[in-house]
Amino acid sequence: MKRVFTVIFLVSILGVILAAPYNTTIRVLAWDDALTQALKAGIPDFEKATGIKVVLELIPSGNLLQKIGVSVSSDKTDYDLVTVDEPFIPSLAHLMMPFDRWGNGKVFKKPPLNVFAPNAFEAAQWGGVFVGMPINANVYIWITRKDLINDPKNKSEFKLKYGYDLSVPKTFKELRDMAEFFTSKGIYGFAPFTKQTEGSTAEAIFMFEAFGTSPLTADGGKVVVSLDEKKAVEAINFYKELLKFAPPGALDMGHSERIAAFNQGKVFTMFQWPALVPQHEDPNNSLVAGKIIYSAPPVGPVKGSAIRGCWVLAMPNATKNKEAAAEFAYWWASLETGQKLIPKGFTPARADLLLNPTYNKDRPWFKAIFDSMRNAVARPRFVKYPEASQIIRNYWLAAISGKMSPEEAVRKMKDELNELVKK
Amino acid sequence: MNSTSSSRNKRGRTKFGGVSPHWIFIAPALIIVFAILIFPVLYSIYMSTYDWHLFYSSDKKFVAFKNFVELLKDKEFLHSLWLQFGFVVIALPIETVIGFFVALLLNRDGKFYTVVRSLILLPVFILPVISGLTWRLLLQPEYGMVSFFLEKMGFGVRAWLAEPDFAYGMVIVQDVWRMWPFMFMFIYAGLSGVPREILEAAQIDGASFWKRVFKIILPQLRPTIATALLLRLVDALRIFSEVYVMTGGGPGNATMLLSLYINKQAFEFFNIGYASAMGVVLLIIALGLSFFIVGGNIKFEGERG
Amino acid sequence: MRRIKKKLLTLTIVVITLAVLIVELMPILVVISSGFKRDIDIWSKGPFYFKPTLESYKQVLSNEDLLISLKNSLFVGFISTLISIVVGSMASYGLTRYVFKFKETIAYMFLSFRMIPQISLVIPLYVMFSFLKLRDTLTGVILAHISFNIPYVIWLLLPFFAAVPCDYEEAARIDGATEMQVFWKVFFPLVSPGLVVASVFAFLMSWNEFLYALILSSVNAKTAPVAVNGLLGQYAPKWGQLTAAGTIMLIPVFVITLTLQKYIIKGLVSGGIKG
Repeated sequence: MKRVFTVIFLVSILGVILAAPYNTTIRVLAWDDALTQALKAGIPDFEKATGIKVVLELIPSGNLLQKIGVSVSSDKTDYDLVTVDEPFIPSLAHLMMPFDRWGNGKVFKKPPLNVFAPNAFEAAQWGGVFVGMPINANVYIWITRKDLINDPKNKSEFKLKYGYDLSVPKTFKELRDMAEFFTSKGIYGFAPFTKQTEGSTAEAIFMFEAFGTSPLTADGGKVVVSLDEKKAVEAINFYKELLKFAPPGALDMGHSERIAAFNQGKVFTMFQWPALVPQHEDPNNSLVAGKIIYSAPPVGPVKGSAIRGCWVLAMPNATKNKEAAAEFAYWWASLETGQKLIPKGFTPARADLLLNPTYNKDRPWFKAIFDSMRNAVARPRFVKYPEASQIIRNYWLAAISGKMSPEEAVRKMKDELNELVKK
Repeated sequence: MNSTSSSRNKRGRTKFGGVSPHWIFIAPALIIVFAILIFPVLYSIYMSTYDWHLFYSSDKKFVAFKNFVELLKDKEFLHSLWLQFGFVVIALPIETVIGFFVALLLNRDGKFYTVVRSLILLPVFILPVISGLTWRLLLQPEYGMVSFFLEKMGFGVRAWLAEPDFAYGMVIVQDVWRMWPFMFMFIYAGLSGVPREILEAAQIDGASFWKRVFKIILPQLRPTIATALLLRLVDALRIFSEVYVMTGGGPGNATMLLSLYINKQAFEFFNIGYASAMGVVLLIIALGLSFFIVGGNIKFEGERG
Repeated sequence: MRRIKKKLLTLTIVVITLAVLIVELMPILVVISSGFKRDIDIWSKGPFYFKPTLESYKQVLSNEDLLISLKNSLFVGFISTLISIVVGSMASYGLTRYVFKFKETIAYMFLSFRMIPQISLVIPLYVMFSFLKLRDTLTGVILAHISFNIPYVIWLLLPFFAAVPCDYEEAARIDGATEMQVFWKVFFPLVSPGLVVASVFAFLMSWNEFLYALILSSVNAKTAPVAVNGLLGQYAPKWGQLTAAGTIMLIPVFVITLTLQKYIIKGLVSGGIKG
């Protein structure tokens, strides 16, 4: 009798060990916000399903790169998965494992590329190789006051003055006209982003690309300075024009100021990052909740140039837990997890979630993200991106604030970028 | 008034089994600090001799003093040095003067003053990041309180932090606001070391307030004030978070104080070799300034011994 | 007549004190009140017009991560302050009350260690702590903190130790006290104002310290500043929660300061020795 029990006991232990496909711990480094904290809440389910223990470390997003730099090297890493903001993929690519070498996943399957919104995967690309997986769909979308457009008085006055129908601005010309129109009516037409941070570089690139030029382009294996001075000056002058229709303090507006101004009903239209949209739709914090219409940004004279900024989930080459880390990545990107996280503010990169009609009812901006992503452009892809961003931003801000003439600013920008590329 | 003891040690102190007593007192601190920091200090000097990008550590190149030579030619670095110098030279004296007079003001007994003294330190206690962000809020052109006052004083409505001179001025104002209570606390503690009899004697003699301040109180407080300045200097030379969230070093680089530039090189551009070289230079400058402040002001000797 | 004059003087001083207090604390009031406002009210006119809400505090107080980090910070703060005060005061005493070669060199060496920017030191510290398996431990953070607090305390206490007249020392020695007793029983109490200031600021330095805590800790030893910085968000800070958390962080330091103040006994060193 005892023998039988012992055997059954041993077999069941064996069964338990074999049932859990893995038996390891992985460490994941991600940014800290409500979304990733919600992810944390779902981890016990993942652990049960796979037997992988997950240590999820969340730190302020501004400090992620520093931690990655200190903890990840070509032969040693403290993390099995890290989240990287896409402009920094070029400088970290050599430390990360290409996506096509990630395992297929036993419990959670590796998603095929076409599951993601078109163009989103480009966020993880460098040198023709995808070095990770985009985890969210972050791209410029445009927010406009529905109620102001639908107001009959506004409609007729606008038609009278400008000769076409008032609507969500689809082109830069329309943007300018409508901004001017509303400013004359006591609402600011437009809100820029002018704080001394990465956001201003994004605005600069948005404008430059819209007018048909880009400061840096990858040419073969190299990066060259490709700024067309004439077009850049046009872009700057147009933005300066728009600034006339912006609230006071326009020369130092960051996210907090923009969100506040829009939520108080003072702004007609402006760009926004999807992650911030819930703040506009929160009735406790926004006077215009429910009155917003979402779209892709207006198209510039040359093309649409929504700036893309996805978080990429990357796996350091030096990790000893390739398979387990991949499972976690696939779990995060799975349909079920996406469904649980969307209520917490997640903007999924999966097309099936973005286009899902149920979600689009409560979150009309999902469709806007999908549309916008089609024409998304990236900020210049360059190993020394931080330095480049600084140069672009400094001269852009100097030009639009009038501290420097557009021509001089563009020239200096080009010169310094040339010096940087040579180093 | 010297001791009459004539043992082999000047002050008649016994030795602990052959080891001079002062080593017993200094040893724990020496051992602990050395054990923790000797490797990092040497390593950071080592880093400063390399052209080293944090993400490309295996490609680092030894360049000996090249980083330092580069620094001397680096216009941004020199600009940051200049900004930092101005900041220290303007902010610290103001903080000291305000701190001194408030220390005199609040040098009174009673629960009321005890509470006030603790409350007035709150700006020193607040997280630097929150201080910087709050000042940003206060300077918001449309509804910030400080903007409101500036408008009333005739400066109009402007994006203060977008104008180079104003931004720099505001960074200084933020620091003065935040740190004069530190000077106050220090001087207040030092005041309690001033023998009461001396203060009272002067009062009885009918000496005027200002005379008492300059001829009696200040001389007594010289070591205290010098130390406070020194400690304040050490931290003022490294001021970072408040300014970073307030202006990001801008507009342009109008408020790119030294630590912001070092941070930029170390944690935005990841040139840690270059940044370490800057750290070394900062250390040398800081030491130089310290010698100057310590001068004859802080005695390393016990009194009248 | 003199009594009225005295009362008037006292009143004036109280009024001036309150004025200084209010002006100085205005920004602090903005921080504290923002914790009770909706985000939309923070970024709009006036500090007094708003609909009070406890939402931010609710979110902060139900954030496990943040609460644990506060606990960690308290622990690290207390231990690192304790060690720094004990070890630092001993060293400060040794440097001022004895005459020996290299004393100034040693003092300046401590100062230099304090003056090297943390950015330069944090990377090698990380390497060192990884090797010693001290990464993401409270011990590691404490060690990192005392590395800058000990020199700070040493220099802070220098003028206080130096100001004590020799008479005290000699009297104690004549009474047969050992060196240690001279230090603990005579000098330590005499420099209490300095000790109070040193304790408050050493604790504060540790409490608010961010860079070392960020790089040297991970999930287990996360401290409050790192958690609160998480509220800065990738784009815009969560103002309500940020200011609520910031206000909560003020409380321990404030309480410590209030409690320790009674040890700043005035006019201690009054010339001569009584009895």
